[in-house]
Amino acid sequence: MHDIRLRTGAATLLSLVAFLSIPGAIAAFIWWLLFTPNLHLIRKNRLVLPSVILIGFFSVILEITGGGGVSYFFRMMVVILIGVWLLAGQKRGEFLNLGCWLFGNRTGFELGMLAEMALQNLNTLTTDFDRIRAAERMKGVRSGVRSIIPVGRVLVHGTLMRAEDTAELLAIRGYVHGGTCIPVFARKKGDLVAVFFAICAAVIAVLFC
Amino acid sequence: MEVQGMKLVLDDVKATLGTWSFSAQGIFDEGLHLVCGDVGSGKSTLALMMAGLLPAASGSVTRDQVSSLMVSFQFPEYHITGTTVHDECKSWGLDPETILSSISLGEKRDRDPLRLSRGELKRLHLACVLANPYDLLILDEPFSSLDVNEKQRICNTLSSRSKGITVLFTHEQAIFPRVAHIWEIREGRLWYCGSPPDGLWNWHHAPPLIRTLIAAGKTPKNISPEDLMEAACMT
Repeated sequence: MHDIRLRTGAATLLSLVAFLSIPGAIAAFIWWLLFTPNLHLIRKNRLVLPSVILIGFFSVILEITGGGGVSYFFRMMVVILIGVWLLAGQKRGEFLNLGCWLFGNRTGFELGMLAEMALQNLNTLTTDFDRIRAAERMKGVRSGVRSIIPVGRVLVHGTLMRAEDTAELLAIRGYVHGGTCIPVFARKKGDLVAVFFAICAAVIAVLFC
Repeated sequence: MEVQGMKLVLDDVKATLGTWSFSAQGIFDEGLHLVCGDVGSGKSTLALMMAGLLPAASGSVTRDQVSSLMVSFQFPEYHITGTTVHDECKSWGLDPETILSSISLGEKRDRDPLRLSRGELKRLHLACVLANPYDLLILDEPFSSLDVNEKQRICNTLSSRSKGITVLFTHEQAIFPRVAHIWEIREGRLWYCGSPPDGLWNWHHAPPLIRTLIAAGKTPKNISPEDLMEAACMT
């Protein structure tokens, strides 16, 4: 789906219905299977496995303490799959376009720029993580919980330093608030069909609730 | 180039990133190898491929008889595992007092390494890396964030490394250690210039001072500041 407006809209709708109920999660999952390059997306995204582990951990705790862990796990997994699909097709500047289209050149520009920066940082964090782990291996640090702490420290420090640098750079360049952006959107044949079925999935989910 | 013993072999290695591509072929034996190239030419990519941290799009990288490897990344923060400067030295298996006194950071032994200035952190990191005898040591831009005196000190240490393969990636144009081989990245390829002094003639992006000396018929024996000074004083 090329149009970021349709992609974000469909993703938001499907995530909501998936999170709210099991029928919603089933409907969203079927939609994900039919309208996305599903397995290819999972293989390409390195954040899927850590997310599964994290959600699995909390689901087990939930199941032990009060029940509902299995349902939570399934619903959250579908939300993650939808999120992976949303980000997999992301191109530079898309969220800035979306922000300006939704909320104009002042607030929309700010929100769009924040989203762009966050995504850029996500890619940098993945690279940083690889380098830090490689450095640890070469240093002879064994993998384990104790080796994760320095990784986290350096990642957080690096992120804060980059945020500070970016803020200073924006201030130096005279950035105060908002900007000018003329949003441009590309649409592919079949985008509207996928959105139509996303709405259908949501309606069916609501009816079965 | 037929090489016996410890060596790093790049066999028609290729890397691609969108429309950008890079290829390398060559054998790196024991000694200090200087690899130069402009910013963005592919130095860091090659360093990572040499260390096996980045898979090549095609070709192969072979490390013969190399039992210990270290890559000094451009950003020293990646290597930090200690919560104090003292602990950081210990994490490298070194005596903190010896290391810290050699780089004048003794007073900051209890400080968090992440709170050091970039220059201080680079000094600490390089002191720890160079104190260990790695078979293959890859240094990616070790001179960045260092002042002239520190660069000179690092060069002296590098010049005195007698064992192992040391590959120095830099776009430095002023201060170099005494090197055994010069390589150059240009036009998307790694070129072997040769060993100094003959290799200096093939070095396309040689620093202006070296080019001036060669043009004046005063080819230096090597590229360390002492060698350049000696060549400049030739009559």
